[in-house]
Amino acid sequence: MSVKSLTLIISVILICPLIYLIYSVFGLNLDNFIYLWNNLLLNYSFNTLYLVILTSIFSLILGVIPAWFISTSDFKAKPLFDIFLFLPLAIPSYIIAFTYSDILSYTGPLQSLIRKSYPSIYPYFNHDYLQIEILSVLMALVLYPYIYTACRISFSLIGSNYIKIARNLGMSQLKTFFKIIIPISRVSIFSGLFLVIMEVLNEYGAVKYFGVNTFTSGIFRSWYSMEDVNTASILAVCLLIIVSFFFILERYSSSRYNYNYKPNDDTSGNYSLSKSSKGLIYFICLIPFLLGFFIPVIYILRNTIDTFASVDLNELSTLSFNSFFLALISSFIILIIAILFQFFKKISKSKTIFFFSEIVSLTYALPGAVIALSLILIISAFSNIFGISIMFGSLTVLVYAYVMRYMAVGISPLKSSFEKHPESFDQTGRNLGMTNYKIFSKIHLPINKTSILIAFILCFVDIIKELPITLILRPFNFDTLAVKTYEYAIEEMIAKSSIYSLVIILFGTVLLIFLRKIINKSINVS
Amino acid sequence: MKKIVSLLFLFIIGCSEIQDEMIVNIYSQRHYDVDQLQYDNFEKETGIKVNVLKSNADELLQRMKNEGESSPADLFITVDVGKLWQASDMGLLQKYKDNSLTDGITESLLDKNGYWVPITYRSRIIVYSNERVQENELTTYEGLADSKWKGRILVRSSSNSYNQALLSSLVANLGEEDTQSWTNALVSNFARDPKGNDRDQVKAIAAGQGDIAIVNSYYIGLLLSSENEEEINAGKAISVFFPNQAEGERGSHINVSGIALAKNSPNKSNALKLIKYLTSDDAQKTYVNNTFEYSVKPNIEPNQIVKGWGSFKIDPLDLNMLGQKRKTAVSIFDTAGWK
Repeated sequence: MSVKSLTLIISVILICPLIYLIYSVFGLNLDNFIYLWNNLLLNYSFNTLYLVILTSIFSLILGVIPAWFISTSDFKAKPLFDIFLFLPLAIPSYIIAFTYSDILSYTGPLQSLIRKSYPSIYPYFNHDYLQIEILSVLMALVLYPYIYTACRISFSLIGSNYIKIARNLGMSQLKTFFKIIIPISRVSIFSGLFLVIMEVLNEYGAVKYFGVNTFTSGIFRSWYSMEDVNTASILAVCLLIIVSFFFILERYSSSRYNYNYKPNDDTSGNYSLSKSSKGLIYFICLIPFLLGFFIPVIYILRNTIDTFASVDLNELSTLSFNSFFLALISSFIILIIAILFQFFKKISKSKTIFFFSEIVSLTYALPGAVIALSLILIISAFSNIFGISIMFGSLTVLVYAYVMRYMAVGISPLKSSFEKHPESFDQTGRNLGMTNYKIFSKIHLPINKTSILIAFILCFVDIIKELPITLILRPFNFDTLAVKTYEYAIEEMIAKSSIYSLVIILFGTVLLIFLRKIINKSINVS
Repeated sequence: MKKIVSLLFLFIIGCSEIQDEMIVNIYSQRHYDVDQLQYDNFEKETGIKVNVLKSNADELLQRMKNEGESSPADLFITVDVGKLWQASDMGLLQKYKDNSLTDGITESLLDKNGYWVPITYRSRIIVYSNERVQENELTTYEGLADSKWKGRILVRSSSNSYNQALLSSLVANLGEEDTQSWTNALVSNFARDPKGNDRDQVKAIAAGQGDIAIVNSYYIGLLLSSENEEEINAGKAISVFFPNQAEGERGSHINVSGIALAKNSPNKSNALKLIKYLTSDDAQKTYVNNTFEYSVKPNIEPNQIVKGWGSFKIDPLDLNMLGQKRKTAVSIFDTAGWK
């Protein structure tokens, strides 16, 4: 089978539920859509835009700046900070939203303490904290690691050679950062930012709780409240079109900046620092960790200890096993497909393969429940056509949905890594008479090893946090940690949900620490 | 090893053991600890294994609809009677026929069409600040439209199905036009944009961000039995008020958590046994002792905390109206700008 047809088949399997979704909206009754358009969508779109912009800005600040200092400066405990800065990714956005609203609420520890001990200043703290701006900060706190990871790799790969040249040309650190590093790292930063934006677009639980209506709220408004699945599908397709447009625009503009560069092999060019700037760096690197990980985890831990007596440990171990097992298998499949696509793209230079390897990422922008819906629709269509009944509630369907949904997370780190290595590697290989398989196993696999592991871990961490798809497509009596967390949280029992969130975070943390070790080993900066 | 084997089964056929006849499959919107307790007790008593899939009601409906005849679901359980009506409207249910199933259940809570059986109910009530509101200032849901409440009312989003059910009851009782003007006035009385869950509305009263809130009775019980002392204090800062109780008034709005037989139920006789069990006196006692819901049987007394609020008159409206009027209610929300 040719490379091209294999890519094509896999892509079609991955996106056929989406194609079916698009196909199914043609000829639908537009009354409810027009109604939504006239009444709500303008407001929903404005909120979405505002939330995306704010979250992007905060994520960029929290991700790029610490990555720059960690990659180019020397200071004590740097490796520790490097671990810390990854960790917030282990916390699902709905958990951080619920946790912080609990911490900041009237009955939470902060307000209670001030009310008791410092009643005179209490009025300054008695606020309604469920605001869109606070939501954007909270989301940025757990999403910035996507940007941080991308920047860390990119900055370190660019590393000292460019910095040295810039310094010899008399450029300041600030100027080097904006004139050289940012433009070169543009593709990587964007690949991280793209994931952040898509996460914001598909978020439902946290935005609903904060009373912020986004485009995704519109999808669920029509499905759950107006009882109109068709209009929900139309809106999902609209969302898809918006993201595609944005995606194509970025691709088009970044094609002008296609850099291949020599990897960093030397760390001697790091900036030395004065005492005051060291203090500032500690502060900058500590804030994202403290707010995005330390404080919420301590709070969740406290709740866990309070409620530990009522926990069924047997159940906890089953749930952990289920979550772990599903995430493992799905990440593995995602990685195999993602690697194949990147490799095929590189060796064939085919426009078709390029196109398909890009569009399989788009599903990431859709809310999980919509992915599940499109899968339900297409499976029932198949069952009707072929007269066979396929059970929805099998893990195969669940894993299929995960793979569809998280393809982008697997592709993103691979893409920047595969794109960075020069064409000459392949040409040399070919001149030496290597087959495609040899080129893959002897060249691409080893040089992209790091990004493959990174992609695997990012997928794993994301899938273990996954909620909406699991809820609707899982088999009978099958729960995961995320499901259990949600069931308690939705019934307003945050404390009882804490042990399950804690285990999710624990899994994520261990893997992310491992991830950081891999990254640093490969980029020689620790 | 056992775990791995059962997971392999799940991969292929979607159930962890070979199907036999001693099972019953539930698609449920309820996901409280007490539910599992009930199913375990049922299994002990009858030897019938209960398989549960818990998710959002609309997603379960969509799944059932698309599974069609091959759907494994025997029973559909919700916490909002509107979704039971919708399920019957979509042709996903069958009538239970056996009238002995509903023996002893309060007549007004029953489905006139014979599709679903109520298992518990909750009321959507008004809570008010002990400091800033006198009980005699409150009368009815309609009274909340009065301009004296400007900037004082707290309530969660209109995408919440309990709010939708409440508004549907108003549409059914007052008509569309009056309900629209009531909603417009109510929205102009909001203390802040709708957000958070029901407990958050109570906390906001304690924090002084508003004076009265529309919440489910159930959550007040949760708050008062919390392990966090501050939450209990917040719960004590408010009192519960059942609206529309005066002579000639219709009574407070309630919503039913109910169970219904799926149209293509493969284990129908087991399913009927489970319905029977969940409405038995024993199971009803288990519900009220473990949650803050009301029993559908008048002879079963509610939990102590709930009992403390006193008894109340229930709006006798045909509960199917809470589903039937849903779309109108949602469009009224949108027109009024209730987020």
